[in-house]
Amino acid sequence: MPQQWMRDHKPDIAVVIFNDHGNSFFLDRVPTFAVGVADSYKPVDEGWGPRAIPDFDGAADLGWHFADRLVERHFDPLICREIEVDHGLQVPMELFCGRPAERWPVKVLPIWVNTIQFPIPTPQRCWDMGVMLREAIESFPGDDRVVIMGTGGLSHQLQGRRAGFLNPAADRDWLATIGPDPDRWRGMNREDYVETFGSEGAELMMWLVMRGAMNREVRTLHTHYHVPASMTGAGCVVMENA
Amino acid sequence: MTDRREIPDTPLFDRDVNRQGYALNKFAMSLGRPDNRAAYKADEDAYLARFGLGPATTAAVKARDYAEMVRLGGNLFFILKISAVDPTPITAIGAAQVGMDHDRFLKERLGK
Repeated sequence: MPQQWMRDHKPDIAVVIFNDHGNSFFLDRVPTFAVGVADSYKPVDEGWGPRAIPDFDGAADLGWHFADRLVERHFDPLICREIEVDHGLQVPMELFCGRPAERWPVKVLPIWVNTIQFPIPTPQRCWDMGVMLREAIESFPGDDRVVIMGTGGLSHQLQGRRAGFLNPAADRDWLATIGPDPDRWRGMNREDYVETFGSEGAELMMWLVMRGAMNREVRTLHTHYHVPASMTGAGCVVMENA
Repeated sequence: MTDRREIPDTPLFDRDVNRQGYALNKFAMSLGRPDNRAAYKADEDAYLARFGLGPATTAAVKARDYAEMVRLGGNLFFILKISAVDPTPITAIGAAQVGMDHDRFLKERLGK
């Protein structure tokens, strides 16, 4: 379904909101939010060598425009001109585009969110960034069509004695209500996310950037859930503005 | 950290852990480069000595004791790079965190 949706709608740009998993950023510099303005992004070596997929063309103009709008509105990201991307961007792109031999069908605008080192941003702040993202897309000159991929695993925890924690009931609740009733998720705090979805499942709040960029009313076209993918609840929802 | 609600059995990567585990995570991060992986495989002791890990952390790395590495401030996303050099399934690392046999972990925690 996600790939069919891409073929039917032929977007020009994919905005991908994701977290780096200790691959492009080390703990020497931890940006809470980072925006990519590069012309091209290579897959990063995560320890096994870079995955054999094409480089990603960057939507640099939209990236700069977004950075301009963010800072004008007192929202201050790191701006990245040269950086590689990890599986946090690669896997959602493959889910939506398949694995092309030579070229991805869309340019990408990567947005990194720190979900590893505390302080991580609040869910409300993720939502607010989505509101800014919408303003930037709507005020961007031209007629590019944009798809927004809010990413992040559903429930999972990799560390501590609660490792292997999964919460399929909460995952299903999230998938069913992120479209019609996002306010309850936006109103939760960070500890609520960690408690409900696991220490690494707090990534899920990145979906709020995508949801905050959409209309109040959305149509949910597709919902899929699988648990566990390795140690993680995995889900996909396709939504359009109503 | 002080102003945060504790969640049982759930370590969060905060400023204290950053300080404690910085050298360990820096070593692990370095394995994202092929030349470093080769140097590490060629002479583990010499390579580890570059990072000033201290005896307890060095012993945990050499023993591939992932639970101990996390206890000493390692973050899984970094120390996973050690498991790329010396292959270990992430579920086995998870089982070690819990202190559970791998098969039992797969069954009881992951429903496999």
